[in-house]
Amino acid sequence: MAEQKKVRFVIERQDGPDSAPYTQEFDVDYRPGLNVVAALMEIQKNPVTVDGKKVAPVVWECNCLEKVCGACMMVINGKARQACCSLIDNLEQPIRLQPARTFPVIRDLLIDRSVMFESLKRIQGWVEVDGSWEVKDAPIQNPYTAQTAYEISHCMTCGCCMEACPNVGPQSDFIGPSPTVQAYLFNLHPLGKFDAPKRLNALMEKGGITSCGNSQNCVQACPKNIKLTTYLAQLNRDVNKQALKNIFNH
Amino acid sequence: MFHTTFYVRRLHSLVGLLALGMVLFEHIFTNSMALGGAPALNGALAMMELIPHPIFLGLEIGAIATPLLFHAIYGIYICLQAKNNPGRYGYVRNWQFALQRWTAWFLVVFLIWHVFYLRILTKGIAGVPISYELLQNYFVANPAYALLYIIGMFAAIFHFCNGITTFCMTWGIAKGPRVQNVVSALSMGLCAVLCLVTLAFMGSYFVM
Repeated sequence: MAEQKKVRFVIERQDGPDSAPYTQEFDVDYRPGLNVVAALMEIQKNPVTVDGKKVAPVVWECNCLEKVCGACMMVINGKARQACCSLIDNLEQPIRLQPARTFPVIRDLLIDRSVMFESLKRIQGWVEVDGSWEVKDAPIQNPYTAQTAYEISHCMTCGCCMEACPNVGPQSDFIGPSPTVQAYLFNLHPLGKFDAPKRLNALMEKGGITSCGNSQNCVQACPKNIKLTTYLAQLNRDVNKQALKNIFNH
Repeated sequence: MFHTTFYVRRLHSLVGLLALGMVLFEHIFTNSMALGGAPALNGALAMMELIPHPIFLGLEIGAIATPLLFHAIYGIYICLQAKNNPGRYGYVRNWQFALQRWTAWFLVVFLIWHVFYLRILTKGIAGVPISYELLQNYFVANPAYALLYIIGMFAAIFHFCNGITTFCMTWGIAKGPRVQNVVSALSMGLCAVLCLVTLAFMGSYFVM
């Protein structure tokens, strides 16, 4: 019988939010179609390092397993991506897993992304609904921008763009590409557009769109192929117009 | 509601492109006169001396020193907000992003030295007018300084040309990826041309 092929994982671990990181290596039996989440599940079943030491299972987060929820975002071979759709066959081995340190690390590969939720609150990432309508009476989506709105609505706040962006992190107050571009989604909405000046003014605050440095990593990193840089440029345009209104309307 | 950050950041962008871009072009234009030898460069410098002294000093302080200090000090603050990561995300624009910040750090040090030595020590305190002969003697006697000046010019030219690209993004002028690529290619073309001009006039001191 042929010898079982192994996949080597080098995992950056950390026992708690304030403890020092260290690395451990694990071997997982190769099988066709294996992805990073499935491999992590194998490690969880049998958390033994390559040195034969039994250790605490690696902690990570996952949910939908089909690149829709964004929960399993981690740094795989140096780049932020979803673990569930990272096939072992497409990765260079050994596979290095790290937590996305743009966010606070809770334990091992588990991170705290609540800052993105706070940012969505800041840019008013919702629509104020004043009552509801029968289907025929409801305001319609602009058919010319519906495609764009649909595209931006795919954002799953996974944080890939936040990890890739050099201007997001503990050293900066930038809210990041994803929450910024969400403002454009709600500005396109037939009811949300009434609050557009509020959102644009929020983007003018410290840590808003002015903190964007145009590295354009976000658009490369986005697993949902949202044209983030295009909408950031559009928002820059909108924010500049809003600034002129702020100056000359009062 | 007055968004200080927004206006300061936009002013930083405008000052860099317009005021400091003008200073850079003036330097390249005047210094390129060295290609015509001593009479051409000294003639160009004499033309500038025709501007009455108080107006000239006012321009130096108002149109060069003030914008430069503002752009440099706020720029350092911007630099400190970035964790450059082109090693992990090696895309062209990310390298340009990192280079924009690395050239910025270099230029802060280089410009302090350049202004202090040539404008304050040589022209201001010692009262020696800047001339073709002065620059030629200086560069030929210290080729390392000439090299440092060439690197300083390259850094300033790249910082300015990449700044044109980011200006077009920041002001929402170039929105889509195609037009952004065109703007980026044009400004990098300008960068190459200005660097070649710099090499030519700096090299001319050594061959003439």
